[in-house]
Amino acid sequence: MMTCLVCSMFGKISAQQKQDPWNENQLMNPAVLAAKIVKNETKDIVIISVGPEAIIKGSVDIGPTHELENLEKLRNYLKNIPKEKEIIIYCGCCPFVKCPNIRPAFNLLQELGFKNAKLLNLPKNIKVDWLDKDYPTND
Amino acid sequence: MINMKTILSIFWVLLFTTTVTAQQKKIEIGQQAPEIVLSKTDGSSFSLSSLKGRLVLIDFWATWCAPCVGEQPELKNLYNTFSDRVKKQEFEILGVSLDKNKESWEKAIDRFGISWIQVSDLKFWKSPVAKAYEIEELPFNVIIDSQGKIIAKNLHGTDLVNFLTAYFK
Repeated sequence: MMTCLVCSMFGKISAQQKQDPWNENQLMNPAVLAAKIVKNETKDIVIISVGPEAIIKGSVDIGPTHELENLEKLRNYLKNIPKEKEIIIYCGCCPFVKCPNIRPAFNLLQELGFKNAKLLNLPKNIKVDWLDKDYPTND
Repeated sequence: MINMKTILSIFWVLLFTTTVTAQQKKIEIGQQAPEIVLSKTDGSSFSLSSLKGRLVLIDFWATWCAPCVGEQPELKNLYNTFSDRVKKQEFEILGVSLDKNKESWEKAIDRFGISWIQVSDLKFWKSPVAKAYEIEELPFNVIIDSQGKIIAKNLHGTDLVNFLTAYFK
């Protein structure tokens, strides 16, 4: 009985630890973002790539944020941006569960107090969820 | 009469759907593997067709893909296990990287002591090879026979070792 209780407590703790730093409402639908880019309605948004390449049109290339150097680059880049600005980050290398870049970047945005931080919802990768749909790219 | 018409319509829709599906999927066992012409780290061009006559394991990977990186020591073991076949020009591994950063790619090759052929266009997911091989997720691999026909798809771990062992028995 006691063992079960301890096990379930640990289970809960590890589940909490694994919880992603974003919630459902902070996931940005790629179709919505693509439509905004096409209509040139992105002047109030900052789109940041925290992965291997800034594929999305108009996005800023920070580099993979699992590297501390790039995380610092992101911190510096965000210095002059108002905290209420809508910031959308994306990586797109791999499915969310395997991506090493989105969590450190999203945590940093929250740590710095960005109230409108979003993660682009690319559940599989940038190829399947963006390129294959012919959404706008940087070249 | 109406029933006959309906049945005929359904038949045509089904036939059309099947044709479209058949056209979309090219990377299937029994199909010919699309040609790959990409650069090695030294910039020289390399083509898959130059390996005709050998069994080739085409490993699609990238340094930003953690499971792919984890698989490289296994591939090294495999390459050592079948080193005689490599010498006899019966077997080869072709590593196709979807990296963007050349430095990361080269560093990983050094770190893992990769001695098989490595090519890349450094175009990340935009690489035309990702489209040609219908890759939706990494790691991904295909095994092609001496005539360039796909004989296995996405085998990893013991499945991959067993397949090659049985092939070269």
